[in-house]
Amino acid sequence: MSIPAMPVFVDVKLREVQESGRLEYRSRSLPTWCPGCGYFSIVEGVTHACNEMGISRDQSVVVSGIGCASRFPFFVNLYGFHTLHGRVLPVATGIKTANDRLTVIGIGGDGDGFAIGGGHISHAAKRNVDITYLLFDNGIYGLTKGQTSPLSAVGLRTTTTPFENPERPLNPLMMLLSYGASWVGQAYAGHPDHLREMITQAVAHRGFSYLHILSPCVTFDKTSKTYVNLGLQVRNLPENHDPSNLMAAMHQAQDMDHPALGLYYQQFRPTLGDTFEQVSAKAGGHGT
Amino acid sequence: MNATDIQIAICGSAGDGTIAAGDILRNAVAAAGYRVICFDVYPPEIRGFGKCISRLRITTEQSYSLKRQSDVLVSLDDSHAIPHAGEVRDNGAVIFESQSIAQCGEGEHMSGHVLPGQIPYGFPMRELAQKATGGARSRNLVVLGYIAGLLGLAPTSFQRIIEKKFAKQGPAVVSRNQAGFQAGFDAGAGTFKLDDVAFGPFEKPASAGKVIMLSGNAAVVQGCLDAELDTFFGYPITPATTIMERLASELPKRGRRLLQTECEISAIAATIGAGFAGSRTATATSGPGLALMAEMLGLATMTETPCVVFVSQRGGPSTGMPTKTEQSDLNAALYGSPGDAQRIVIAPTNVEGCYRCAGKAFEMAERYQTPVIVLLDLYLSNRYETVTLSESGSPFVLDANKPLRRLEPGEAYQRYALTPDGISPRAVPGDANCMHVVTGLEHNELGRPNDSAEMHTAMSRKRHDKLLGALEHPDFTVTKRFGDTGKVKVGILAWGSTFGECLEAMFMAQAEGIRCAAMKVVMLSPFPEKAISAFMDDCDAVLVPEVNYEGQFAQLVQGVLARPVVRLSRVPSSPMPVELILGEIRRLSGVNA
Repeated sequence: MSIPAMPVFVDVKLREVQESGRLEYRSRSLPTWCPGCGYFSIVEGVTHACNEMGISRDQSVVVSGIGCASRFPFFVNLYGFHTLHGRVLPVATGIKTANDRLTVIGIGGDGDGFAIGGGHISHAAKRNVDITYLLFDNGIYGLTKGQTSPLSAVGLRTTTTPFENPERPLNPLMMLLSYGASWVGQAYAGHPDHLREMITQAVAHRGFSYLHILSPCVTFDKTSKTYVNLGLQVRNLPENHDPSNLMAAMHQAQDMDHPALGLYYQQFRPTLGDTFEQVSAKAGGHGT
Repeated sequence: MNATDIQIAICGSAGDGTIAAGDILRNAVAAAGYRVICFDVYPPEIRGFGKCISRLRITTEQSYSLKRQSDVLVSLDDSHAIPHAGEVRDNGAVIFESQSIAQCGEGEHMSGHVLPGQIPYGFPMRELAQKATGGARSRNLVVLGYIAGLLGLAPTSFQRIIEKKFAKQGPAVVSRNQAGFQAGFDAGAGTFKLDDVAFGPFEKPASAGKVIMLSGNAAVVQGCLDAELDTFFGYPITPATTIMERLASELPKRGRRLLQTECEISAIAATIGAGFAGSRTATATSGPGLALMAEMLGLATMTETPCVVFVSQRGGPSTGMPTKTEQSDLNAALYGSPGDAQRIVIAPTNVEGCYRCAGKAFEMAERYQTPVIVLLDLYLSNRYETVTLSESGSPFVLDANKPLRRLEPGEAYQRYALTPDGISPRAVPGDANCMHVVTGLEHNELGRPNDSAEMHTAMSRKRHDKLLGALEHPDFTVTKRFGDTGKVKVGILAWGSTFGECLEAMFMAQAEGIRCAAMKVVMLSPFPEKAISAFMDDCDAVLVPEVNYEGQFAQLVQGVLARPVVRLSRVPSSPMPVELILGEIRRLSGVNA
């Protein structure tokens, strides 16, 4: 983490935020997360991205599942759908199918995405649905008070693994790369400037963009994915990393001990909306 | 006045072309202007030697069900057809192969099973097929020609339909099949006719619209298209698959969208997502898929999102009997969801009803902001009937949403505003300045999570009360009474496909002098308490026939009204036999026949 050269004054920062127009995208509800939770910086990142891109608030939808992360839609002033556990992507696919003009952002935690919802990710990626999927990875079930998740590290002691988690975690980036996601990146809640830049890029990508966000749970994980540990472990992708090279991206994704931050892979190919138009043209129909 | 009423059963082994022959026959007679109802029975395997039967009843006026006895039985495979010899009436015809290719063991030939009174017609179908077409594959067409020749049906409409049906396979196949048909026709026309199966004099009735022949699932699709369905999400499952297959070719022509999802959960989730975004949307499934959708349907109830689910029931529980009909998903449709599962459930009773219910389901989903389940079953999905469709545009309301009021400056949009009728004006993403979040959590009028006792009570009441309007939904038959008016000995209360058999039984009982009436119940949730109660007031005994073991509808009626009914719950893996219902009517009316 870089140390600012000049001290930051609260009133200056506040004025800067107010003048940016970013607050337009914040709702009047205060986040219900624990103080210190990494998710705050993700709200900040999303509002920044929307503001930066000039996204119209009534033309965008945030879709979430169940879990701490999934309370997200209540904290932004956009259309929102707080759905069921694990069903972020199919609901988002339905919304995007119904109306291509909407900006659709899916949000879920690691349990929501890779346990109960794991079956849907491959299909959203394969279809290249033009949505952004922000996965908040704290490696634990927070809302149900600290159970193990499919991304929990080996040896993590939780309420359901009192004798330490014996299972090795999934490698989400490898999965997404092999599923054919057309934009795959990783960010860290402890690096908010980089995070919001990555969110902006992910939302701007035309196609299915997956951003894996490492984010500490300050309440239930005191040993594994903490700010201290993650701060020491994360690294940037090599400067010469070529995001069009799938094999290089997979090579980087193999290193789970030192997660690399940045854009792993990007590809441009027809989205689900494009394929609907193609099918319609083949059927001799008129487009929507 | 000799009205036509002929039932023909074609029975063969999978691969014999049994179902194809039935398809050509029903299309040909429908094209000639007769009314038709048909139901095919086939095994779950694509090949192999399972039994296929195609039964069709041809009438002057639309009939309600198949008859117990067929007038004509055609055997394409004696081993399968022999057990059905008994279903042919006296002086009816049994048509079979006269020259078996292999040595035929004792009791294995149809000729030995024709009952006294039935008229046997053995003819060399294989030989005729070989002579006319150079192969035995057109045997089913030869038989079809034989029936047409024997019964005196004009060959032209058959030839036209054969051409249409086989056009894709090239002119050689078309002419081969037409030659096969002609050979059979000549043989049939030259046969000395001893049976008394005959078509009555035909007058084309003046009808209000165009008459076409549709299966229940095809009628659902037609209803969807006429209601201007925007998006469809589905996962293949028998017997609902043909709904998705038909829509897959129809929707893209209209610039609309269909997506085959990875599972039923994804299908309903995407349907709800699309409904939330303001699209007219639906999915279709069967019992096992409905079970997977249960949690999501609760989300649609809670978020008040319009969506339509077509459920074609089959034998259960679990994988059950995928190609056999049953009405055992009523409880799952009514209650399958966590919490109070407020929703609309409607069940058509015939193919025309499939069309009406499909279109009306979209109106109701939008008007009452709720999931609507249209409950079909295999018997209804797969049977063919001639139906009359309106020629003057769509009979459905194409936008049934409550109009959205313009917001005052500074006013926050309330997605779940409490209103007298319980329906809140609905904004969808894209509507200016109405940003809101919908959630599966209990919420307040703004849609924010709220679990206070007052709010949960108020919202539960809202979700319940708003649906009651559906009982008076415009231009929709919630219940309908048939038969004798006033007090009756026996009243039949029925839902879904079984109602056709009930009506048939009622007519037969009336002919025997028994005072009886029948009520079809199309809307199952919200429950039409008043109408059913009033009907029961008129009946000395109320009979509830349904094709499930537990008597699910009977329990519903008894539970809501606290009045006893007589159950007739059977699981015959086929439609409820008419004579079973008739027997119960006789018993209850004190007549011993």
